[in-house]
Amino acid sequence: MNPPPIPSKQPPLFANNFVFEPMPNAENPISLLENLLKHPGRVVHELHQKQAPILAGWLLIFGIIGVAIYGTVVGAQSGGAQMWIAPAKLGLGTLLAVLICLPSLYIFTCLGGIDAQLRSVCGALFAAVCLSSILLIGFAPVAWIFSQSTDSIAFMGALHLLFWVIGIRFGLRLIDATGRFLGARGKGHLRIWSFIFILVCFQMTTALRPIIAHSKTFLPTEKKFFLANWFDSINGK
Amino acid sequence: MIKHFKTLLRGEVGALSLEEPGWRWFATYCLAIAVGSSVYGATIGLWRAPLQSVFTAIKFPLLIFLTCIGNGAVNGMLAQLFGSGLSFRQTALAILMSFAIAAVILGALSPVTLFVLYNAPPLGSANAILGHSVMLLTHVFAIAFSGIMANRRLLDLLRRMTGRDTTARVVLFSWLGGNLFLGAQLAWNLRPFIGSPGLTIQFFRDDPLRGNFYEAVWRAFRHLFL
Repeated sequence: MNPPPIPSKQPPLFANNFVFEPMPNAENPISLLENLLKHPGRVVHELHQKQAPILAGWLLIFGIIGVAIYGTVVGAQSGGAQMWIAPAKLGLGTLLAVLICLPSLYIFTCLGGIDAQLRSVCGALFAAVCLSSILLIGFAPVAWIFSQSTDSIAFMGALHLLFWVIGIRFGLRLIDATGRFLGARGKGHLRIWSFIFILVCFQMTTALRPIIAHSKTFLPTEKKFFLANWFDSINGK
Repeated sequence: MIKHFKTLLRGEVGALSLEEPGWRWFATYCLAIAVGSSVYGATIGLWRAPLQSVFTAIKFPLLIFLTCIGNGAVNGMLAQLFGSGLSFRQTALAILMSFAIAAVILGALSPVTLFVLYNAPPLGSANAILGHSVMLLTHVFAIAFSGIMANRRLLDLLRRMTGRDTTARVVLFSWLGGNLFLGAQLAWNLRPFIGSPGLTIQFFRDDPLRGNFYEAVWRAFRHLFL
């Protein structure tokens, strides 16, 4: 049998190939996760139907659990109590970042000309977090291998952040797609909100430090902004 | 009310009507200003102290209302002089609407500014100046963004009401100029909003009506350059 011909024009790297159509077996959580990866347009479509609150709830739960699972890999570098502290902090931090940024997302969707209900906005954000956490789980074996190869907290911190940025890039693409589905006039407002969300998440990792290394206290005793924390980590402070 | 504000935020000015400006709209916009700007104002003052937070939560909406009241007559006159066709009541409602939009945006951003505050080095710490600077910049960006969005919506509304882009722009900039001019002075009179660490926490500084924002700027300019 001959292989299919290679398309003469390759799609761009982040091709917005969302097809907004009903999702079969929408009430099945496993089907939800499969469609989130393969057919994200279906998830966007279902988040504007009657069972949107149930789907949004599942997405948030999977998102928090997924990040917590990745947290075990993060904590494996130091071992000991970090094996439960790191997942707890990453799960809690994700939930807090979502709660902090949800009101502004709702307002920014309105500013972008989108007539969305709060439950749809919540669903879009939870789906973005869930998708990024699925990707983080995919990166977990890679992260674990590197964590066993080095003692450098700065190196591993940068690597974990890199994986998170890749994951959230796909997640934010889902929010963009939701905006298009609902007739957004432009991308500017959601892009501004995305920037705010990323900054809040970066700061959250500093507010809940240390996540990779051991510490005598659960939360830090000194307040720092994330850039200062990164520079201090690089300089070994 | 939520649906109305969503319409405002989306900029669907076709769905709005100032043809019959009723007291219900005035009350709606005043409520939005009171709630949104009060919540945001609380996050401004909280860095100094909880008491300053309460004071700023009261003074921020007060500043907006006093600016609207102080400039109400001249804004209405300018709107008519520039041929917009808007009445005094319609002018007041339009300006309140733009402040309400800004207040709603600021209210939605208050969890973010509160989070920045939580992470800022506190007063008395070695990096207090850095914390103060970051807080200041955050508030400047938030207030600037909400102000720009609110005025964009107001410009769209004026275009629809006047039917002419030039008239709409002239009216908007005249209102903006007047409100900024009076608002800066009122902010000076109502200070402090953030609160200086070296001074005691007060609702108003001693003799609040004495002193002038523009004279203070001129004195600072002279010290710097002359």
